[in-house]
Amino acid sequence: MKNRINTLYKWIDDRVHLRDLVEFMGKKYVPIHEHSIWYYFGGVSLFLFIIQVVTGILLLLYYKGSEELAFESIQFIMSKVEFGWLIRSIHSWAANLFVGAAVIHMFSVYFTKAYRKPREITWLTGMFMLFLGMGFGFSGYLLPWNELAFFATKVGTDIPVIGKPIMILMRGGEDVTGATLSRMFGFHVAIFPGLFVLFLSIHLLLVQRQGMSEPIEFEDSPPDGSQRTMPFFPNFLLRDLLLWLLILNVLAVLAVLFPWELGQKADLFASAPVGIKPEWYFLFMFQTLKYIPAQVFFIDGEVLGVLLFGFAGLLWMIVPFWDRKSSAGQQNRLVNYVGIFVVLYILLFTILGYIA
Amino acid sequence: MKKMWSCRIILFTFLLTVFEQQVASTQDQCLVCHEAIEDKNAALFKGDVHFANGLTCASCHGGDATKEDAEESMSKNAGFMGVPSGNAISSVCSNCHSSATVMVKKYNSLLPLDQMSSLTSSVHGESSTKGGQRIAQCTSCHGAHGIVSKNNRSSSVHPLNVPATCAKCHSSAQYLRDYNPALPVDQLDKYRTSVHGKQNAKGDASVAECASCHGSHDILPAADVRSRVYATTLPKTCGSCHSNTNLMRKYALPSDQLEKYSRSVHGIALLEKKDLGAPACNDCHGNHGAVPPGVESISRVCGTCHALNAELFSASPHKKAFDQRKLPECETCHSHHDVVAATDKLLGVGKGAVCAWCHTPEKAPKGFEVARTMRLLVDSLQASENHAVLRVEEAEQKGMEVGEARFKLREIRQARLESRTNVHSFNESQFREVAERGLAVSTVVSEEATQAIDQYYFRRWGLLIASLIITSLAISLYAFIRRIEKQQASRARS
Repeated sequence: MKNRINTLYKWIDDRVHLRDLVEFMGKKYVPIHEHSIWYYFGGVSLFLFIIQVVTGILLLLYYKGSEELAFESIQFIMSKVEFGWLIRSIHSWAANLFVGAAVIHMFSVYFTKAYRKPREITWLTGMFMLFLGMGFGFSGYLLPWNELAFFATKVGTDIPVIGKPIMILMRGGEDVTGATLSRMFGFHVAIFPGLFVLFLSIHLLLVQRQGMSEPIEFEDSPPDGSQRTMPFFPNFLLRDLLLWLLILNVLAVLAVLFPWELGQKADLFASAPVGIKPEWYFLFMFQTLKYIPAQVFFIDGEVLGVLLFGFAGLLWMIVPFWDRKSSAGQQNRLVNYVGIFVVLYILLFTILGYIA
Repeated sequence: MKKMWSCRIILFTFLLTVFEQQVASTQDQCLVCHEAIEDKNAALFKGDVHFANGLTCASCHGGDATKEDAEESMSKNAGFMGVPSGNAISSVCSNCHSSATVMVKKYNSLLPLDQMSSLTSSVHGESSTKGGQRIAQCTSCHGAHGIVSKNNRSSSVHPLNVPATCAKCHSSAQYLRDYNPALPVDQLDKYRTSVHGKQNAKGDASVAECASCHGSHDILPAADVRSRVYATTLPKTCGSCHSNTNLMRKYALPSDQLEKYSRSVHGIALLEKKDLGAPACNDCHGNHGAVPPGVESISRVCGTCHALNAELFSASPHKKAFDQRKLPECETCHSHHDVVAATDKLLGVGKGAVCAWCHTPEKAPKGFEVARTMRLLVDSLQASENHAVLRVEEAEQKGMEVGEARFKLREIRQARLESRTNVHSFNESQFREVAERGLAVSTVVSEEATQAIDQYYFRRWGLLIASLIITSLAISLYAFIRRIEKQQASRARS
C-alpha cells in the first residue's frame, strides 16, 4: 500500500514538482502564543464555505428558480429527494455558521492587529468576502420563496440613501416579484460565487505568501529561539482538520435536530406577518434604525442611520490605513476601545432585536 | 210702546247682520265656491279626516279661506300657493304631521311624528327621474282630498287596499323601468296566489299585505341591511305574525316556526353566523307568493340549494315510494323548520338512524341491509380519515415535511362529503364507489405520514451513528497529532 502511494506521489512529482510545494509547506511555521486559537477561525470559515459550495451544487440539481416552482421544488427536495432534507438543512445551517465564523475571524484579526502592514490587502479581501457572505445570506434567503423570505426581502431591498435605481436593480422591477427571485438566484449562484472565489484566491495566496501574522509583542521579542512555533504541515493542518470534524459534528446535530423550516409559500397579495425580522447578522442594524427618531434635525431618521452605518463600515474597513501606530509596531489602545465598543454594541442590539 | 217695538226691530236687524257677517267669516269660503262649481275635490274633502278636524282648503293650499272675494282669498299676499307640486306636497303635510305642537297638543293625535323623515330616508325618498323631487309623495299612497283613517275600509292604505295602492306603481313595467328595471312587476299577481293574498282578497285584514313586511314610510330595498326584508331580518319580520299565538290560533297554524328555525342548521347559519347563503323563510316558501311547499315539491324546493341531493333523490326508488305514501320527501328524514345538520347518525339501522323507520329487517330486509352497509362504509371512511389526520399531525409535530399528504387529506374529506350526498341515491354500489375512493386515499396518506414518522426516527439513529463515526475519527486524529508531536519533540531533543 505504502509503495503504491509512493509510486503515485512520484508519478505526480515527476510532472508537477510536488516536492517544491511540500518543502515550502514544511518550512512554514505557525507562531504559538496565547492568541493562537484565533488562527483556526479562518480555516473554519473556509471549511464551511466548501460545505456551502458542495451542498449548494447538490441543491441546484433539483431547485427551480421561478415564482411558480421555487417553493414546490424545495418541498420536493425536503420530502422526496433522498437525503434532500439533510442537504438543505446543512446548507441553511452552514450559511449561518459561516457568517458567524467569518465575523469571529474578522474580530480576531482586528484585535490582534493582524491587518497591519504588510497585510492590508489580506484584510480588505477578507472584508469583501464577509460582505459577500452576507450577500449570499440575503440572496439565498429569498430562494425558497416563502412568506418570511418574501417580506424580509421586501424590507431589505427598500433601503433609503441607496436610492430607487439600486432598489430596482436588486428587485428587477418596482416590487418584489418573480423577477426578484430570478435576480437573487443569479446573484447567489453566479455573481457572488465568482467574486468570492476571486477574493478567496487572493486572500489564501497572500496568507501563504506572507505567512501567519504574529502579535506585535511577538515581533518585539529577541530572535533567540524562545519564540514557540509549530510546523504548518502537518501539525497545524491536522489540528485544522480536527476542528473541522468537530464543526461537521455540530452541523449534523443542528441539521437533524433542528431542521430548517420551509414555512408557507409567499403570497404577493397577503399582508405582512407580524414580527418580520431579518437574519441575525443584520438584526443590530435593523434594531438601531427602529430607535432612531423619524426626523433628526433636518435629516430623515432612517437616512441618518444608514449613513452612519455606511460611514462606520467604511472606517472599519480602512483600519489598516488609519491605524499607523500598529503598522509601526506600537500598541494602539484606541483601536482596542473602538473594537470593544463595536462588539458590545452589536451584541446589545442583537439581543434587543430578539427580545423586541 | 210702538217706539219700543221699533227699537227692538232695529236691534234685531243689526244683530242679524252682524251674525251673518260672523258666519261668513268663519265659513271655508274656498269650499263654498268650489262646491258651487261642483268641484270633485271639494266634495271629497267634505269626507276627509282633515275636514272633520277643522282644516280648511287654505291649510294646504294657502290663501285666506275667510274671504269671499276670489282675488282676496287667492292672493299671493295671503300666502296662496295653488296646487302644491313635487316635494312641496309632502312639505305641506309635514308642516302639521311632523309638528308635536299641532299633532299632540292641538289634536291629541297618536300618529307618529317621524313619517316625513322616514319617507325621506326610504327608497321612495330618492330622487325621481323628474329631478329635484322624491319618487313618492304622501299623496302617492294616501290620496289628497278624500283622506280617511287607515282603519277606514275606503282608505287607500287600509290593509285590504294596500296591495292595489302599491301596485299602481309596482305593477307598471313602464314606470319601474325608469328606476329599477330588474325589479319584477308581478308581485301583486304572485301575492294573489299566496295564502296571504287569497285571505286578503276575501276581506281578512289580519293577513300580511305589502306594508306588513316592507313597512310603510320607511321602506328600504331588500338588499339594504336595515330593511325589514333583509335576509337576516326576514325571519323576525315573518315571526311578527307567525309567532303570535293568538293570531295563528285563528288560522289553526303553529306559532313555533321561528323558534324551531332559529335553532336549525339554516337558522344558526343565517342568524348567528350571518351567512347570507343560508335560506330564510322566503327561500323555501316564496315571498310574494308565499305558500307551504307541496308534499311532492319539497325536494325541488330544497334542491334549489341542495341540487345534487335532490337530483339523486328524484332518480332514486324512494321518490315514487314517498309520493305513493304521501310522505313529504326531504322533510320525512330531515324535518323542516328545525332541520339540524345532517350527520352520519341519520344513516343506517342503529339508534338515531332514520332508515330503520321503514326498512325493518322483517318488512324490508334488502333496504335494511343496504342501509347497514352504507353506514359501515361511512363509519370506516370517517375512522380512516381520522387516523390519516392523526398520522399527518404527528409527522408535522416531529418537524417532517408532509405538505403533500396534508393536501391529500382534502381528497378524503371530499370523498366523505360526496358519500353523504350519494346516500340520496340509495344505491349501494354507487355509494361504495365513492366511499372506497376515499378509503384508498386515506390509506395512501396514512402510509406517507407513517413513512415520514419512520424517517424521523431513522434520522435520529443516523445522526447518532454519524456522530459516533465523526467523533471516533476526531479522537483518532487527536491521537495521531499527539503521536506526531511526541515524535517531533523527541527528534528535536536528540
